[in-house]
Amino acid sequence: MEQSTTFDRLPDAIRPVLDNGIPAGMATCSAAGVPNMTVVSQVYYVDTQHVAVSFQFFNKTVRNIRENPRAEVAVHDPFGQVDWILELQFVRSEKEGPIFEAMDIQIEAIASATGMSGIFKLMAADIYRVRSCRRIEYGGRAAEPA
Amino acid sequence: MIPGKIARFVQERANVAGMASRDADLVPHQHRVSGWRLGKDGKTITAYLPALFAEHLLEDLESNGQVALSLEEYPAHETYQFKGVFVRQRAIEAEDRALVAAQRERFVHDMLPLYPEAPVDLIRGFIVEPDLAVEFEVQEIYLQTPGPGAGARLVPPAEK
Repeated sequence: MEQSTTFDRLPDAIRPVLDNGIPAGMATCSAAGVPNMTVVSQVYYVDTQHVAVSFQFFNKTVRNIRENPRAEVAVHDPFGQVDWILELQFVRSEKEGPIFEAMDIQIEAIASATGMSGIFKLMAADIYRVRSCRRIEYGGRAAEPA
Repeated sequence: MIPGKIARFVQERANVAGMASRDADLVPHQHRVSGWRLGKDGKTITAYLPALFAEHLLEDLESNGQVALSLEEYPAHETYQFKGVFVRQRAIEAEDRALVAAQRERFVHDMLPLYPEAPVDLIRGFIVEPDLAVEFEVQEIYLQTPGPGAGARLVPPAEK
C-alpha cells in the first residue's frame, strides 16, 4: 500500500520520527545551481512550522544554505514504513539558547551510540521554516529475498 | 574516471544512497535511492529509484541535468558524493532488479547487528522496489565521511 499526504505544518505524528536517531537525508543547491546531497544527524522539532537542523561541520551544505536558503530533508520511520519529506527555508543560525542546548545533548548521545564521539560536535542549530511536509507510506514495495 | 578504491566501495560496500536534483528556480529535491550500478566505462553511475521517491526528478534532470549522489556505508559512515550530469533514464530491467535485490541483502546484513530486535522483513522493506533507472556521468567526487576531511574534492584532485 502506498499513500502520499501533504501537510502545510508539522503534525504530531512526525515528532517521534524526529527523535528516532536515524540519520536524515538533506538536499541543498549552490547559487551556481549545483545540487548537494548529504546526511544530517538530527532534525529537531521546534514548533509546528519550524525545525532545527544540526550544523556539525563547515561544509558544502552550510555554504549552499548561506547562498540559497532552500533545502529539502527526508526523515525516515523504517518501522512504520513511512518517510517524511520536509521542504524547508533557512531562517537563522543559533549558537546558544535552549534549542542549541537540547540538540547538543542529543548529538552527544548519537555520537556515543554510533562511535563518533569527538567527531560529531554541534557548531550551531540552523533554524528552518517548514514550507510543506509530505508523508509517504511505502509498505509493501519490497521484493522477496534474493 | 572513478578511481579503483572508490569503485570497489561503490560495488562492494556502500549500503545506503540518496540523490539530489534541483529545479529551474534552484529549489533542491532529494530522492531515496534503492540501488546503483557502476558503468562499464568507469565514468557513469546508474541509480535505481522508486517512483514514489522521484517526484520532480525527471523534470529537474531534463531542465538542467545537474545531479548529486551520496553513497554511504552505514554504520561505518564512510561516504562519497558523486556529482555530474544526467545522461539518460529508462525503466527498470530484470538485471537491475537482481542487483537491487543483492544490495538489499547487503543492507539487511549490515543493519541487523544494529537492530537485532527488528523484524528482517521491515529492514528489507526499507529498500523499496525501484521503477526507474537514472544514469549520469560523474564529473566530480567528494569525500563525505564525517570528520575534518569531509568535503574535500577527490576527483579531479583539489588544487593545493
